[in-house]
Amino acid sequence: MKILIVEDERDLLDSIDNYLSGIGMSCTKAINVEQALDCLVKEDFDCILLDIGLPDGSGFNVIEAMQQKEHKTGIVIISARNSLDDRLTGLNIGADDYVTKPFHMSELIARIKSVARRRSSQDRKAIVFHELKLIPDEMVMYVGEKMLTMTKKEHELMIYLISNPNRVLTREAIAEHLWGDHAEMADSFDFIYSHIKNLRKKIVDNGGKDYIKSVYGVGYKFAAE
Amino acid sequence: MKLLNATNRFYIIVALALLLVSSVFLVYRVVYVIDMQITEHMLFKKLQIEKQIASQPELQRRSFYISDLIRVDTISKFTTFKVQIKDTLMYGELEEAEIPYRVMTYEQEILGDAYRISISQRLTQNRDLVSGIAITFLLVAIDIIACFYFLNRYFSSTIWRPFYRALDTLKRFDLQRGGRVRFEPTEINEFNALNEELVKLTDKVSSDYRNLKEFTENMSHETQTPLAIIRSKLEILLQADNLSPEQLEQIRSTLDAINRLTKMNRGLIMLTRIDNEQFSDEEDIRFSELVQRRLVDLELFIQSRELHVETELNNELVVRMNPHLADILVSNLLSNAIKYNISGGRLEVSVFSDAISISNSGKALTFSDQKIFERFKRGDAVDSIGLGLAIVKRICDHYHYFLSYQYQDDLHRFYIQFTKERRNIT
Repeated sequence: MKILIVEDERDLLDSIDNYLSGIGMSCTKAINVEQALDCLVKEDFDCILLDIGLPDGSGFNVIEAMQQKEHKTGIVIISARNSLDDRLTGLNIGADDYVTKPFHMSELIARIKSVARRRSSQDRKAIVFHELKLIPDEMVMYVGEKMLTMTKKEHELMIYLISNPNRVLTREAIAEHLWGDHAEMADSFDFIYSHIKNLRKKIVDNGGKDYIKSVYGVGYKFAAE
Repeated sequence: MKLLNATNRFYIIVALALLLVSSVFLVYRVVYVIDMQITEHMLFKKLQIEKQIASQPELQRRSFYISDLIRVDTISKFTTFKVQIKDTLMYGELEEAEIPYRVMTYEQEILGDAYRISISQRLTQNRDLVSGIAITFLLVAIDIIACFYFLNRYFSSTIWRPFYRALDTLKRFDLQRGGRVRFEPTEINEFNALNEELVKLTDKVSSDYRNLKEFTENMSHETQTPLAIIRSKLEILLQADNLSPEQLEQIRSTLDAINRLTKMNRGLIMLTRIDNEQFSDEEDIRFSELVQRRLVDLELFIQSRELHVETELNNELVVRMNPHLADILVSNLLSNAIKYNISGGRLEVSVFSDAISISNSGKALTFSDQKIFERFKRGDAVDSIGLGLAIVKRICDHYHYFLSYQYQDDLHRFYIQFTKERRNIT
């Protein structure tokens, strides 16, 4: 998956590049509007991560330039200004999603993949990991040929885990992904635990492998080995 | 009491006291002078009678009346040499009542004969004079009070008007909404000076407030990027294969701190944004629906604590406000009522025709009731930032809703009245 990261803060740019490359995405970096437009002319990207406050203009300028011609690039805005106006403006002029700094890397990846799925053709929408297959918008999971039903939260959690293979995911990041502002509810970690337990059981009982590893005291890791 | 009334009351009291004292003094003085004159007048009469008797032989050695008031008697011998003067009451035909008289009686020898002469003099002047003076002074007193009353009204409406206008302007001054106070120039130097200082003061306060707000806003926004960098670096660090459990723990607790900082930051940004009126668009919000939606969102947390939910949702409550703020208002109150609840406790949510009330079981606060809406104030044993209720309070202030908190029968109760008139909690 080819990603263009537009962010003027070098350290953050490198971090995102590092993390995304770590899960096999191919990243191109740009630090301002000019470079971003340059990159967009030269190459096609699956997704562009776009900061709004850039030294030589606004990220909105990049979106507007992109909308001049047809494109298949997903657009995710990364902004320090968690303002509703920015969010609405961004989504109105063609952005697909919006994350506010500081975000969890795993959340960013989940968003990128979700945007990419929405942009892609119907037959590629399924999310596959070895023998597991999930279809967005349907509360089911296939383990091999077997179809399992699951709750909405279990489904969301499973997609989140599969989107972030081989990465240690903190419980905070998972809780925030599942419950947003309510993540700080004291027992949200307990729910993650019970959801994970249910998922493991469903997968293993139906002949799948247990891919969900616990990382003691921190969270979980979804990994093949 | 109005300032003018206070000074006037003082002036009136002093004026009346002076009037009273001076009228008493005046009465005594006048009565004394009249007394003297009457006595002098009688002595003068005495001389005249003497001359009259001496010059008119037909009057000699006889008893007679010169008038009703003067009586002359011949006597055989003297009984006293003194002139007796005494005041007495006699019947006055004109008044048809007893009236005061002064009677001077003396015995005198005229051309060798002895006479007893008594001269009477009506004293009604005194009484009339005193009542005259009293009436005059009463009229003066009434005049003074009336005069002060009208002067008061006149001063209020003219000279003091700039003052009351300035007061009105200050009352309408709202720091949060900014704006500057302006006063019309007046003819009174003191008022101009006061107004000038008020303009300076409010301008200073406004600009300080603006700066502080800007600082908070900038600070909150500017810290987000560094926070994003720290979090991303830590999350990358977390992916290393060879981490010891201790190192994992270090990273985890650092991430925890970052999470707290992030939430604090978002709360503060929310507060400044409400202050900055960045939620101007409004919709009609049906609270019964909103509450129901949020209860569904939180169902998992409600179930896990085995809370007994009692709802009473009146469909009529529709409030015109920003939908995002309405959502935050309800969410914050509900999650607060769940977070600080006890296992198996009660959660009562009521939507009335003009108010909502959210109550939860729980222990009494460890701090005073008034502090519950303060920033960073939070109950024990709950992992929270302490901005949720501060945001609720800010939203209510913004729309002039009446927000109250009460703890009764082991229930914490939050109550929001949407109409402007306040009503006591029942």
